[in-house]
Amino acid sequence: MPQTGRGALSDRPDAELRLPAEGAYVSVLRTTAAGLAARLDFTLEDVEDLRMAVGEAAAIVLETASPATELRARFWLGGRTMTVTVDAPSDGTATIDVDSFAWQVLTSLATSARVSGRDERLAITVALEAAPLEAAR
Amino acid sequence: MTDEPTRERLVAARSSPAVEQTRRRSAALFAILTAASTGRRERSDAREELVHLHLPLVEHCARRFQNRGEPLEDLVQVGTIGLLKAVDRFDRERGVEFSTYATPTIIGEIKRHFRDRGWAIHVPRRLQELRMQIGSVSTTLTQSLGRSPTPRELAGEIGCTVEEIIEALDSSNAYATLSLDAEDGVDAPGSILAALGIDDDSLEHVEIRESIKPLLDALGDREKTILMLRFFRNMTQSQIAAEVGISQMHVSRLLTRTLAALRHALERD
Repeated sequence: MPQTGRGALSDRPDAELRLPAEGAYVSVLRTTAAGLAARLDFTLEDVEDLRMAVGEAAAIVLETASPATELRARFWLGGRTMTVTVDAPSDGTATIDVDSFAWQVLTSLATSARVSGRDERLAITVALEAAPLEAAR
Repeated sequence: MTDEPTRERLVAARSSPAVEQTRRRSAALFAILTAASTGRRERSDAREELVHLHLPLVEHCARRFQNRGEPLEDLVQVGTIGLLKAVDRFDRERGVEFSTYATPTIIGEIKRHFRDRGWAIHVPRRLQELRMQIGSVSTTLTQSLGRSPTPRELAGEIGCTVEEIIEALDSSNAYATLSLDAEDGVDAPGSILAALGIDDDSLEHVEIRESIKPLLDALGDREKTILMLRFFRNMTQSQIAAEVGISQMHVSRLLTRTLAALRHALERD
């Protein structure tokens, strides 16, 4: 299983967003993630990767989310790292298939991805470490 | 198929001999098409030739809508649908030139395409322009920096604020609001996870491979290449952009769209 590679996250995220647990709201989440990443001075490429990774994470969480609940996203803003945990109350059938397409996409895009949460709540944490800003050549 | 000189002729002076020739040929074909004595085979040949004869007109119309976020070839395709409709509906008795009659139909079809498939949210022109500017400036910056630029660097280069850059980047995603998200979740709970195995592990792999394969095959060559470079060779969007010869923003958009389409198709099954 992939690991986040960093220590425990603080109890208090730097930003938190609650949305209806419905697919239509995922774009709001993706936009928020991108907006925060842009303010951390991530490159456009990293911003886009994060946007997609968060979208995939939300999609996975929503698949087993109980109806009429809330999707919660918490953001931890590090210097060059952004960590996002997306979670929602789950109907208890949550199993993450690490071979699934969505999960493959997610782990390719993010620096690390991790599943946590118990039966009644599924959480996916993705972290993206921004590329250093010095010129690559 | 596309006859280069013909397009020149159409775009150039309307009364040139060449245009006159196209006009006459067109009129002759319509005469064949509408004559009661014309056989089915002959009619379909005439129709086909009419379409070919006026394809340059479609291209001309499509070009007017270039750089609005939809690939030109798509615009030509929907424009051609407009042309077909125009050919079928044209009434010679009205005494107007076919090109005069067809142009609004072709443009109407292209506009409808934008309405249906284009921006899901209306984006102010200022943002659309800024978005285009970001596209070209980020290509230049990517070359000089050797990596993708940050919003701050773009703002400095373009001479606007970071906020405006972020706003414009968001607007470029207004384009894709429907695709990735609308199909997820509530209506089809657990669709991907449910579809993919409870059985033996290796069996599961086969199922994924087999269900994704036809979807991948159905993708365009460029989309397939981009997907492969990104997820199998782990190339960055800028590297892909350089390899494929399009801008990084375009790569980003194609990736988003392709993933959305794959997801959509997978959930359909």
